[in-house]
This record gives sequence, structure tokens and C-alpha cells, in this order.
Amino acid sequence: MQRILNALLQFRNPILYFFLLGLAISFAYNRSPFHEYNIEKYGFFFSSKLYAVRDGISQYFKLRQVNQQLLEENERLKVDELISSEIPLYPDALKKPKRFPFTVKKAHVLKNSFQNQRNYLTIDIGSIDGVEPEMGVISNSGIVGVVHSVTDHYANVISILHQDLKINVRVTKSPAFGSLVWSRKKPQEFRVEDVVSNANIKIGDTLITGGMSSYFPLGIPVGKITKLDKIEGGGYYSINAELFDDPSQIYYVYVLENIDFQELQSLQKKLPQ
Amino acid sequence: MKTISLVPALSFILLVLAQVMVFNHLHILGGINPMLYLLFFFVYRFESNQTVLIVLAFLLGFSIDFLSQSGGAHAIATLTIGFLRPLIIRYAFGVTMETPQSYFSDTRTLNKLIYLLLLVLLHHGLYFTLVYFSWEAHFLISKNTLLTSIFSLILIGITLSFYPNKK
Repeated sequence: MQRILNALLQFRNPILYFFLLGLAISFAYNRSPFHEYNIEKYGFFFSSKLYAVRDGISQYFKLRQVNQQLLEENERLKVDELISSEIPLYPDALKKPKRFPFTVKKAHVLKNSFQNQRNYLTIDIGSIDGVEPEMGVISNSGIVGVVHSVTDHYANVISILHQDLKINVRVTKSPAFGSLVWSRKKPQEFRVEDVVSNANIKIGDTLITGGMSSYFPLGIPVGKITKLDKIEGGGYYSINAELFDDPSQIYYVYVLENIDFQELQSLQKKLPQ
Repeated sequence: MKTISLVPALSFILLVLAQVMVFNHLHILGGINPMLYLLFFFVYRFESNQTVLIVLAFLLGFSIDFLSQSGGAHAIATLTIGFLRPLIIRYAFGVTMETPQSYFSDTRTLNKLIYLLLLVLLHHGLYFTLVYFSWEAHFLISKNTLLTSIFSLILIGITLSFYPNKK
């Protein structure tokens, strides 16, 4: 007995090794489906907790990259959205293919002022990226402004919050058009001028771009009518409107390039002044 | 009875976590995951109990298998390394010389390098053999063993230089 114990103690390491080896091998190759399932259930419980932490951390560091991907995706989708916004206004548009002269470029807003009477934005793309003066700029839900001046890598944009900028708008239900001008008080308060008083409009109607300028295509939702008055003897409405998007809270914008811009300009020049 | 010293105990836990959460997801050059946890065989002192090491080696490999849902290859490879460590030490540091008390107390760089190489190559060879477990995959096994060994060696080498350098 003593000898056996001595032998066991002397060879305890190899014995232990082969015992554990057998255990490991049995775990690896001879697990019954039941035990396999149970062990993996606990293993998965712990590892999923660990992976959740790891995932949370790595997701935080991937945010910038994901943001970039989303922007690129939006850039592609934006063109489709702009094209499709005409469809509900003219159901016939579906039947015949129509030329859409606008392309979209995404940009990041570097500076955005909204406290002056004449406000400007600075964006991070410029003439190298194909931006030129007098291109329209939109955000994900509304108009931002028009490009004013361009350098190699940056561009200045006249904000919609600028007392001299007028944008051609209409309502969805009626083709009557007018000009959207900032009320110069709050960033979201606007007035619509020059709408003739026989037009069929009411409070709550959605304002969209009219498509009569070369800056913006038809049908971008801009805001809604909040107040409506007929001016006595004037023949025009006095309309107050509110934007969907707060122009002071914009971080990403899309610059609209009108391919036909030069063509339209040259056509305008031929008119008698 | 000697109490378990702090450095190996902490290392054990941190190495398992680091391996499962970080190094099993690196996929360098398409699929190489360096194995940092072999560092445990450097932290565990040469003079410490060999029987305990076998148990610890098994637990180390098993926890990594457990947490990364890999068959049992980590456990078997690590257990074998733990069992064979005295042999490796004797081979690397020589039989005639008195064996050092721990990896850090020795000053002979070449012997240390041999120890490192032997340990990593043996472990990785065994690990990939168990993972593929087929004679047809011998090319894949040797390729993976060599490439992963290179990255493991670099990683372990760098990490070792950060360890508290007590004798």
C-alpha cells in the first residue's frame, strides 16, 4: 500500500497530466449533445457579456466611420428623393422618363452663424470638389442656402437666414407660388410674399420649393403655413410660415449642382432687359 | 504554505480576458490571432510547484476554450506545454548550469530566446494540429503555426519588457 502511494506521489505530474488530457479530449470530441449544449450555454452567457462590453467600446470608436458611410449612402439616396418628390405633384411623371439636371455633393458645416441679419455658413468642400458660386444647398429636411463664394477647399454659403435671400416656393395642393423670406426674428420664422389672394391655400399647408429658380429642383419640403391674412385692397396674402428644420442646428448639408446652370444663364441673357 | 503571489494570479485573469476580448479578434493578414496568454508560462516562476502549474495550465486553456467556443484545442495544447515545461527549461537553460529561479532572473539572452521559441512553436504546432486534425492539412498547419508564432513571439516579447522586473 505504501509503495503504491509512493509511486502515485512520485508520478503525480504525469498522472495529473494524462487525467486532465483525457478530460480535455473528452470535452473536445466526445461531448454528449446534452452536456455540450449546457456547457456552451454557460460559456455563451459569459462570453456574450464580455462581447457586449467589447462591442460597446469598438462601436464608439467606429462612430466616425459609420457616420461617413451613412453620409455616403444618403448622398446617393438624396438624388432619388429629389427626383421622386415630383411624382405626387404630377402623377404623369412616372410614365415618361424625365431628365433630372441636379447632382448632389455632401459637405460638413464648419461654421454656421444665425444671429446676424445677414448670415453665412462655411462648408468643407470647395472648387476642387466641383463647388461653384450660385449652387443650391439643402439639408436632410429643408433648404440651407445658396453658395456665395468658393476657395479651393471651402465654400461660403448665404444662409436662408439672410434678409436679402428670397426663395421661390409653392404649396403642395396649389400651384400658386411666392417668395420665402426670413422674418429676421427667430431662425424658424419666415414670411411668404407675393402670393395672389385668389389662390386656394389654407393654414397648415406644406410649402415646397417651386422649381422656378436654377438653384433648387421642384418639390423639396421646406415648411408649413402658420398664419394667413388677406391684405385689404392689395390682392396679395400675408403669410407666416415655419420651417421643418432649424437652420441654426445643421451639421451636414448637400450641395446641389445644376448641370444646366450655364445653359439657363445664357438663355436669360438673351431676353431684352 | 506559500500564498499565491499576486503577479501570476493577476496575469492569469488579465491574460484570459485580453486573449478572449482582443487578441482572438485581430485577424492580422486575413486570419492570424497571436496568442498572448502563453505569457503565463513566463510569469509563473520556474521554481514554483510543477503540479500546480499543470492544473493552472489546464484551467488557462480551458477558460479560453470556454469563452471563445473553441473545441478543446487551447486546453490540450496549453496543458501539454505546462506538463513539458521542465523539459523545455532544462533544454533551453542547460542541465549542467543551475536552472534559474524565474524567467526574469536569468541574464542569458540566447537561452531565454530558445525557451521562448520552443514554448511558442510547440504550443502553436500542437494547437493547429488539433484544430485541423487531418493529415491532408499539414501544409495549412505548418503555415499557420509559423505565421502565428512570429506574431505571438513579437507580442510576447514586447509585453515581457513591460513586466515588473523583479528577480
